Amino acid sequence: MSNPVIEAPPTAAAVTWQEGEVLARRASARHKRKRLALLVAGWAAMLGIWQVAAYYLPFGTLPNPLEVGAEMWDIVAGGALVSDLFASIAKTAVGFAVAGAIGAPVGYLMGRYNYWKAFFHDGVTVAGTIPALTYAVLSLIIFGLSDLGPVLAVALVSTPYVALNVAEGIRGVDQSLVKMSQAFGRSPRQIRREVFVPTIVPYVFAAIRMSFAVAWKVEALTEVFGGTNGVGFQIRNEYQLFNITGVIAWMGLFIVFMLLVERLVLRKLEQRVLAWRPDERAVQ
Amino acid sequence: MTQTVTRRRSAEEMAGDAPAWRGRLTSNPAARSTFYVAAFLTWLLLAALFERIPGPASVVDRLIEEFRRGEVFGNFADTFYRFSIGVALSVVAGILIGVLIGLSPMARAFLESPVMVGLSIPAIMWAFLTVMWFGFGHMSPIVTTFLTAVPFVILNVAQGVQGVSRDLRDMSSSYGIPLTRRVRDLVLPAVSGYVLAGVRFAVIMGWNGVLLAEWFGGSGGAGYRARYWYDANQFAGFAAWVVLFVGVIIVLDQLVFEKASRRAFRWRDQTH
Repeated sequence: MSNPVIEAPPTAAAVTWQEGEVLARRASARHKRKRLALLVAGWAAMLGIWQVAAYYLPFGTLPNPLEVGAEMWDIVAGGALVSDLFASIAKTAVGFAVAGAIGAPVGYLMGRYNYWKAFFHDGVTVAGTIPALTYAVLSLIIFGLSDLGPVLAVALVSTPYVALNVAEGIRGVDQSLVKMSQAFGRSPRQIRREVFVPTIVPYVFAAIRMSFAVAWKVEALTEVFGGTNGVGFQIRNEYQLFNITGVIAWMGLFIVFMLLVERLVLRKLEQRVLAWRPDERAVQ
Repeated sequence: MTQTVTRRRSAEEMAGDAPAWRGRLTSNPAARSTFYVAAFLTWLLLAALFERIPGPASVVDRLIEEFRRGEVFGNFADTFYRFSIGVALSVVAGILIGVLIGLSPMARAFLESPVMVGLSIPAIMWAFLTVMWFGFGHMSPIVTTFLTAVPFVILNVAQGVQGVSRDLRDMSSSYGIPLTRRVRDLVLPAVSGYVLAGVRFAVIMGWNGVLLAEWFGGSGGAGYRARYWYDANQFAGFAAWVVLFVGVIIVLDQLVFEKASRRAFRWRDQTH
């Protein structure tokens, strides 16, 4: 059976490639404008629904966006934001460091040796399923009212993510590359540094991005239950005063900050570190 | 150039040399039981070191006590009622919105930011707000469960729909494959795994949400009962409830979803 010949459809007007390029550029600009308009429409719709809900709910239970915006501005201008936000960030960062220090070796063992994989498997899956509430209250019971509670909660909740991703990264290492390096007499240290580490870097970034979203929520939750400072502590204060505007304002500031970190710091850093392997970056 | 090299032995030869007891000791079941023993010993050690951490004996005591008082089933029935309604709603809404986002880039541009914001709002926030809005009752835990779970379902479903290979879609349409077969053999296998992953996420996130809402809501349920013991400074009672609600979610996740997701991804995992 012969392949059918597909003829190019007759074009309406023979355009030169310059004209074609101009057309294509115009189409892409139009597409970009449309996307931007829809993005703005998305935000507008969100604020609109909020405004309508604020109007219909009983007085005082949901402030409208403007009131919350004014409260947010007060918090920022009053300087309360900086100290509490940094307290929260510091606790999250320390908890993260602990999670990395424990999770990465565990993940390495799980990825390389069958025995350790079987050993840790159940523990890591169970730890990943436990509700965040449990971690928050448990760390509070252990440490009482102190800064160590949130740190422990963050560490507990992020360690399984780090371990699982590192393990998966190690298992994803190209075995023929390892065998080749061994055949050419490279030392185990060199193999570790030149073959293993570069392969697992994308997985580690995935772990960081995944647990980042969960970690700060748990951090705030622990502070709500028993913090002495930080964003969660402020949220609880405002809640106890029945100041819902304050609760939402603090929440909004924290969300804004976290989205900025996610977008500007983590994503940029990932692009930088993975600049030499464009395919991994493309898969977001 | 006539250097002699000592012959390297294969992995099988080396394994054959090791005595049998060593093989049995390093087998997977042995590793798992070692883990459980180690975890239990760690618990004993921690309970001995910190007086605030309840030991296994007192937790089991409390657990039996709670069962005997008949607190367990009533409270779990309440929790499950709220949880299942919330999760079911979030799955339905999540699949609808997720399919929309996956199919149309314009819907994606419009809905991207709301989903992103939804993902970053913690469950505690919804618990606070819904208790204010709906008071103490079934409504607040249900809405909290729904709102915490729905963004995760949307994300996963959208990813699955986008993952349906465009080439395969084009090919099946050019070979004139009937729509029913196309849906059955192409779209469903590609999407079902993602939907399942989304539902699984929804269950885990929703379970946390329902417990938090009950903790602050004060209208019965597992979360409320755990708070009762926590407020009474009876940490053994709290730990007993932790054992219960962690046990429930693990049974649900491992027995139901692990099996189902293996089935759903069967076509993909067979290759490696």
